Amino acid sequence: MATQHSRAAARLMISPAVLLLLGWMLIPLGMTIYFSLLRYNLLMPGNNPYVGWENYKYFLTDPAFSAAIFNTLALVGGVLLITVVGGILLGLLLDQPMWGQGIVRILVIAPFFVMPTVSALVWKNMFMNPVNGLFAYLAQFLGLEPFDFLAQAPLMSIIGIVSWQWLPFATLILLTAMQSLDREQLEAAEMDGAGPFNRFFYIVLPHLARAVTVVVLIQTIFLLSVFAEILVTTNGGPGNASTNLTYLVYAESLLRFDVGTGSAGGVVAIVLANIVAIFLMRMIGKNLEA
Amino acid sequence: MGRITLDKVTKSFGDIEVIPPLDLTIDEGEFVVFVGPSGCGKSTLLRLIAGLEDVSSGQIRIDRQDATHLPPAKRGLAMVFQSYALYPHMSVRKNIAFPLKMAGMDKAEQDKRVNYAAEVLNLSDYIDRKPGQLSGGQRQRVAIGRAIVREPAAFLFDEPLSNLDAALRVNMRLEISELHAKLKTTMVYVTHDQVEAMTMADKIVVLQAGRIEQVGSPLELYRAPRNRFVAGFIGSPKMNFITGAAAEAFGVHEIGVRPEHLQPSTESGMWKGTVGVGEHLGSDTFLHVHDTGLAETITVRASGEMALRHGDTIWLTPEADKIHKFDAAGLRVE
Amino acid sequence: MARKVTTQRMALNTVLAWAIGLLIFFPILWTILTSFKTEAQAIADPPIFLGFNWTLENYVEVQERSNYFRHFWNSVVISLGSTLLGLVIAVPAAWAMAFVPGKRTKDVLMWMLSTKMLPPVGVLVPIYLMFKSLGLLDTQLGLVIVLTLINLPIIIWMLYTYFREIPGEILEAARMDGATLKGEVVHVLLPMAVPGMASTVLLNIILAWNEAFWTLNLTAAKAAPLTAFIASYSSPEGLFYAKLSAASTMAIAPILIMGWFSQKQLVRGLTFGAVK
Repeated sequence: MATQHSRAAARLMISPAVLLLLGWMLIPLGMTIYFSLLRYNLLMPGNNPYVGWENYKYFLTDPAFSAAIFNTLALVGGVLLITVVGGILLGLLLDQPMWGQGIVRILVIAPFFVMPTVSALVWKNMFMNPVNGLFAYLAQFLGLEPFDFLAQAPLMSIIGIVSWQWLPFATLILLTAMQSLDREQLEAAEMDGAGPFNRFFYIVLPHLARAVTVVVLIQTIFLLSVFAEILVTTNGGPGNASTNLTYLVYAESLLRFDVGTGSAGGVVAIVLANIVAIFLMRMIGKNLEA
Repeated sequence: MGRITLDKVTKSFGDIEVIPPLDLTIDEGEFVVFVGPSGCGKSTLLRLIAGLEDVSSGQIRIDRQDATHLPPAKRGLAMVFQSYALYPHMSVRKNIAFPLKMAGMDKAEQDKRVNYAAEVLNLSDYIDRKPGQLSGGQRQRVAIGRAIVREPAAFLFDEPLSNLDAALRVNMRLEISELHAKLKTTMVYVTHDQVEAMTMADKIVVLQAGRIEQVGSPLELYRAPRNRFVAGFIGSPKMNFITGAAAEAFGVHEIGVRPEHLQPSTESGMWKGTVGVGEHLGSDTFLHVHDTGLAETITVRASGEMALRHGDTIWLTPEADKIHKFDAAGLRVE
Repeated sequence: MARKVTTQRMALNTVLAWAIGLLIFFPILWTILTSFKTEAQAIADPPIFLGFNWTLENYVEVQERSNYFRHFWNSVVISLGSTLLGLVIAVPAAWAMAFVPGKRTKDVLMWMLSTKMLPPVGVLVPIYLMFKSLGLLDTQLGLVIVLTLINLPIIIWMLYTYFREIPGEILEAARMDGATLKGEVVHVLLPMAVPGMASTVLLNIILAWNEAFWTLNLTAAKAAPLTAFIASYSSPEGLFYAKLSAASTMAIAPILIMGWFSQKQLVRGLTFGAVK
């Protein structure tokens, strides 16, 4: 529904964005795939011979890889579980009438705006530190042995930190979705004899299904790439105990300077992310038509 | 100023031809109404004239100049949109002045014209308000004001009254007619409401599926519809169509009689039927008559106080010179 | 049409919600409090909550020892720069897709979104090597480019959803009124889209300010924004809680304030319009 003139203008207007994103996507992607087929280490200059699938074989059979996959899944799954369940409960609470609702809301969403390096360091030093952390004082106060969170349960600790960062996001979105629920529906259900639990399970939860899906998918995209939190707390250790896929690829490429293997890992990460992305795009695409 | 000619104009969206080749001349100073059911292409036709859509082929001339490929701004036309399309962030004054500002007119002249338009349209009291603070009728007048300040070659109206309530619609109809009488500028008006078409137009263009079914004055269309479609579309309530033996008695495939051209009687007449629902409007009563053997329902206009009840027997007689005859293809037979 | 709620119920809700809210906020509060303590008070046993001698010396010292404001400035330049550059590229694209939609518009939008799904680590190596050979490592310009590109899809999407709420007839009216394409965008579209643009800008600044993959991997001492600067405290020698807290407080304060203002639009932006 437009003239050729405006259509031509539209093409012109959209092309910078398209070209830039196309370049941003294709050039590095192509280079990653290319590097992943070479023996290429920055510490060993010389020609970089083509080695076929060798890097992939090396990366995929490295014990660190299976550990990283496990850690990645545990991190994503753990944080999702905590934030979605916590987000629904918190959303329900914040949706109730109370005094100072606006202020509570502000308190709850605050962690989302804290940069990852700050939250990781604050938790690491001021809370989880076995000597000077608040948790250590608390344990002492209760007559318990201080617990060295990041040494003894590194992955769980990171899950805790990341959950603290993402709980506000889940809460905010689920609360928004709850507030869009038609109050008359709830009143009709009440007239039909549904108690609070039935109202939650038959009315509220189905209404939230879409928002929960969106939360899960968007968080997954970000959680697959958790990096700074690991870098500043554990450096992936002890051993590989808290190394996820992103960190492993970083370590291969920029710590061990093995560009070939790092690139192969990058390709693996892209494949994994794409599987999630397909689901997310379907969801959002559906919304686009509505 | 203000003569618009369409010469074999067509429009296709992809493979779908929404307007097959169409010729039309709109004379200077005329009030032309495009009317037809929704999806008949009347709005598309208006947008082609406005330049908001490209024609697929053919030529549009405005004042004898080829305007086919001119952008909207260069055609010297002004348009009033269905949603009024006022700029919500600008005051009434700035809304009306916008086309003048775009034309680079000097400030004093802008003010003069805006004030004049506001006065003509009774907007002076609201001139510094934002559109959001105005009623539907006031917004409509602002939209018209924005159109008239430019002194365009012609005004284009795209269903401008469809968002107003019934009472206001009647008012605005009169105001627009008054405006036309005052300005004597060509107006092209699109509506799906045949009442608007009949009451306002100098010339009605009836469209169906992108084709012009008939062009003529309201009374021409009423008296001599060229085909069954126009006959059914113009006039309210709708014309009764009768086929079968009753039509063959007149030597044609189908006849049409308007409700107001049927004589009702409780005693005798050409056709006999049973009274169904009666709609009493006070001045008139429209009776829905069943069991006539002519059509499922025949609508007839009776005088306002005719005492007939549901289930009564009634006789109907058409006025002989008001019977419209159609052949099997739906074309008028004289 | 709020229902009558008993006062006890209100009180219970209030107490519970405030308790949980304060618990969630506590790490931030503790950081802010610690930033005003001396180093000794910061690790005092038992911990001191409020009864300490408030001091600003940590803030002074952080600036003196590490040239804090240089990193703060880097963060400002990088987040504002990438947002403005992104806006310049995104406004025309969003205009085109919202008002001149074609058959492929939807596909283009989805494709743009899909570039956001690309895990950064998948392209870390080539970007790092490219930046190295182009001399863009550890420069503000390099980060502006990268952050513009990674956030461009979000900017386009947000603007697109806001633009779509503006009726096309208004732009057509402007066209009929003689406005050129530029006039149409400048006089009509942008003024009407101000609220949407403001929240787009705000969200994008927040995302860019807190971005902690590229900023950590592509900078060293010179162009490091606050994310990378704070990360330098992770080494054991950096174990000065009060100074860490002061640096952290300054790093998060501006964004915390902006975030609180933009919380309503945030939902829409972060879910690409899927939840409003």
